[in-house]
Amino acid sequence: MSETILKPTRRALLRGATALGAAGAIGSPLVLRESHAQAAFNWKRFSGTTIDVLLVKNPRSDLMQAAEKEFTELTGIKVSSEQVPEQQQRQKAVIEFASGKPSFDVSGISLHVQKRMAAKGKWFEDLTPFIKDASLTAPEFDFADFGAGPVAYARQADGSLDTIPFFVDYWMVYYNKELFAAKGVEYPKTMDEMATVAAKLHDPAKGIAGFVSRGLKNANVPVWASLLLGQGIETTSTEGKLQTDTPEAVWAGELYKKLNKDSGPAGQVGFNWNECQTSFMQGRAAMWLDGIGFATPLEDPSKSRIVGKVGYGITPPGPKAHHAGMFADGMGISRGSQKKQAAWLYLQFVTNKANQLAMLKAGAGAPGRASAYLDTNTIAQSKFGKQYFDCLLGSAKVARAALPQIVPVTEFRDVFGVALTNALGGADVAAELKKATETFAPVLVKSEQG
Amino acid sequence: MTTTILPAELAERAQPAPFTHSADFTPRYWLFAAPAVLVVAGVIVFPWLFTLYMSTQDWKIGGGPEFVGLQNFAELFRDTRFIESMGHTLYFTVLAVVLPILFGTAAALVFHREFPFRGVLRTVFVMPMMATPVAVALVWTMMFHPQLGVLNYLLSLVGIGPQNWVYSPDTVIPTLILVEVWHWTPLVMLIVLGGLAGLPREPYESALIDGANDWHMFRHITLPLVWPFIMVAIVIRTIDALKAFDTIFVITQGGPGTASETLNIFLYLQAFQFYKIGYASAVVVIFFVIVIMLSLLLLYARQKSKWNA
Amino acid sequence: MKRLATKLGFYASLFVLVSPAVLVFLWMISLSFKNELDNTAFPPVFIPDPPTLKNYVDVFAQNNFALYLWNSVLVTGGAVLIGLAVGVPAGYGIARGKATKFAILILVARMTPALSYLIPLFLLFQMTGLVGTITALVITHLVITIPIIVWIMIGYFENIPMELEDAARIDGASSWQAFRHVALPLAMPGVTVGGILAFIFSWNNFIFSVVLGGKNSRTLPSAVYNSLTFEQISWGPLAAAALLVTLPVLLVTVLAQRQIVAGLSAGGLKDG
Repeated sequence: MSETILKPTRRALLRGATALGAAGAIGSPLVLRESHAQAAFNWKRFSGTTIDVLLVKNPRSDLMQAAEKEFTELTGIKVSSEQVPEQQQRQKAVIEFASGKPSFDVSGISLHVQKRMAAKGKWFEDLTPFIKDASLTAPEFDFADFGAGPVAYARQADGSLDTIPFFVDYWMVYYNKELFAAKGVEYPKTMDEMATVAAKLHDPAKGIAGFVSRGLKNANVPVWASLLLGQGIETTSTEGKLQTDTPEAVWAGELYKKLNKDSGPAGQVGFNWNECQTSFMQGRAAMWLDGIGFATPLEDPSKSRIVGKVGYGITPPGPKAHHAGMFADGMGISRGSQKKQAAWLYLQFVTNKANQLAMLKAGAGAPGRASAYLDTNTIAQSKFGKQYFDCLLGSAKVARAALPQIVPVTEFRDVFGVALTNALGGADVAAELKKATETFAPVLVKSEQG
Repeated sequence: MTTTILPAELAERAQPAPFTHSADFTPRYWLFAAPAVLVVAGVIVFPWLFTLYMSTQDWKIGGGPEFVGLQNFAELFRDTRFIESMGHTLYFTVLAVVLPILFGTAAALVFHREFPFRGVLRTVFVMPMMATPVAVALVWTMMFHPQLGVLNYLLSLVGIGPQNWVYSPDTVIPTLILVEVWHWTPLVMLIVLGGLAGLPREPYESALIDGANDWHMFRHITLPLVWPFIMVAIVIRTIDALKAFDTIFVITQGGPGTASETLNIFLYLQAFQFYKIGYASAVVVIFFVIVIMLSLLLLYARQKSKWNA
Repeated sequence: MKRLATKLGFYASLFVLVSPAVLVFLWMISLSFKNELDNTAFPPVFIPDPPTLKNYVDVFAQNNFALYLWNSVLVTGGAVLIGLAVGVPAGYGIARGKATKFAILILVARMTPALSYLIPLFLLFQMTGLVGTITALVITHLVITIPIIVWIMIGYFENIPMELEDAARIDGASSWQAFRHVALPLAMPGVTVGGILAFIFSWNNFIFSVVLGGKNSRTLPSAVYNSLTFEQISWGPLAAAALLVTLPVLLVTVLAQRQIVAGLSAGGLKDG
């Protein structure tokens, strides 16, 4: 990027913050490192303890690890953390929590995948008593600062809050401005237009794909589910009934197939977000539909060939509704942990205002706290420009959960992922979705009984 | 060192004792095996029995077992994904046996000759089968990348268009077989080489006098003589191909879709992605039956190799 | 003339046979010494220019590589040593006692996919609280080492004539002494072969550690799979790590190629 730093207007940020459900926490600009200034709260109570932390490998965890040193200086608690790639981390969490003696005190989870499973398996401690306990929670932590939306997403059916929703991901479209300009096309205004624009940009002879998104089974389900939101429905109804073979779902499946098959790169059935990211960063894809939390390396000249040429667009409206698929990560304290209080200090620290702001600034995604969006000065210094922040806040306003809140999410993603992959291979979308729905329906029924 | 002696023949090959073993000697040999019996009972036989038990239970990780009889098996045979995975396994196994056998036998004939640097080159040739499968699989994955992979570039040099390798349901299994061939041809070579080393000279000498050419000598003398070793190699390859997991798991995880989902991958997904312990155990039991049958076949092949050698 | 043509044909086939092995390893080396932009360049850059050690530095700096290396040494070392301690006498006992049934049991164990032991052992470790410990991994790796060692030792003891031991027995040696001082020294080449092959197969195993390994007990192959994989476009560090993981095994192969060739033509079985 030519380092033209575009300042997001304060008003736009305020709107976004309101959309996140900032409950009147809008106040003076943040004072960084304010935690040091607080003398009243005793951070050193558990000095000398070591806690183990399991993280998912991503830019947010990099930031958390970078902040560990400061945490140890503040509290005297040592942190032993590790980042494990998403798929393995999810498996590891299940296995270790099932053993009753997880090797970590704190773990992050994807709420859109494992929230219900965590409740069922009693993985995490309810954090509400910790938050209410003034001897354990520093006053500046200010839980009310977390957006009502993310908090509601994290809260379990029984009312307990077992994770802090520190990260929200919105699905949006990364696009290559240079390729758009070369073909003289504009950013699409509807989902259907996305397909026509992609076809215009598609240029296989030059090795450039008009569109790229995840084709790999399992990983591809959020793409389809995000498109489905354009019809105003989710994969399950509010009563928990599958809507995966409805005409709307078939429409989303057809669009998915059209986008990827007709204007996608060769071999996209094997692509997860990282292959998509690589293609896009190499300037080999004109559009990429994925989470905004994957932006970090795009503006890094040592990794990306398209620095400064990236456009950030809100997912275009569908035929019936305009939504951005929403996903969120939470962090909780293992119920089997022996060091819950020290773990809570850690959790407080990594989700405090300064660290949440650092996440926003680094392009590592949307924080769960509303206050992060209000610090215009810090945001202005970010290498991500105005369009990025506009996209983020605009997406927040139309956010809607894309994956169903059920226990066997992994199986859901697997079964429908196979259907979508088959569709990319030429199979009939409606037939595949019907078959997948029939396969998955009994699994869902059974999981709700147990 | 006579390297072609195979342990399973021990009962037959054991020299008759030169003088009488008093009966009380024999039982003591068991003492030598006693620690191993304990360990094998613990880490090998117990898991087998436990698996058999689990296969009759409805059991998910984190929950408890519930007896369901043979329902898991009944369900398996209605599960199209399981049936498909059997098909993939069969497809994979056939090619992953035939090709290494052909190349491995050819390689053995080459390495049976004397030539400069034979030892070094043989070591290089054997390296793939020793290399850590995960490490090698990761490198292959990078080479298969449809846009940035080196293989498509090499193909473009000889005028062949880009392939999708493991990124297309049509080519994924042949591509995985390519890796398997690369990995395990050396094993076949070693087994057949062992057979060639023990060949007698006389038939060749008389055939030369009769004016036979190279092909005739191979077809009518060498092949029949090393055939028992090739048989052994075929059975071993069959079992290994059935067991193939590491490279498939790392490179495709059974994808795209389910196009390369073999029994092993299916089993892993059921157990450690969907956490269905009972269901996965039923797959293991079926697997185990196949393996036992093949093991018996191996013993039989070795018997043959002894008779003919 | 014809002889020359034959010779050329021979060397051509030799080249065809050996080059795939060479090319894959060379490409691995090439990837590990190039920077990211060169690694994902198309057409590919073959010779690292300038070569960089950054990938190797990254592997050590960003991961507990030294710890995983040590874990691999402990797990493989433990499993091989226990395997030898238990398996060598067992091979002797089976060979001399003609325990064919036990030998067949070992053969079937050798044939069974390693994966199928994973579920029961996982549940067992879960009950005993051993998930994520080195001990659990050593125990699972015994599934790999014991059958191969026993299997190879049976063959070696088979080939040692009985007369020497009988002579020792007549001189008053106990059966342990006959084993320890007569049969075992003669079977030492077999112990070496068995040990080396058990080492290689145990070192290369990764799925046990993927499922059962914890943060502090993970072995090297599973660490490469588990903590590096294809995040971002880190092909360089990935290739560097892959090379480091397989390097010990390749070194052993080069140093002990004679024994390995002997052992594999004899045992003829790989692990899985």
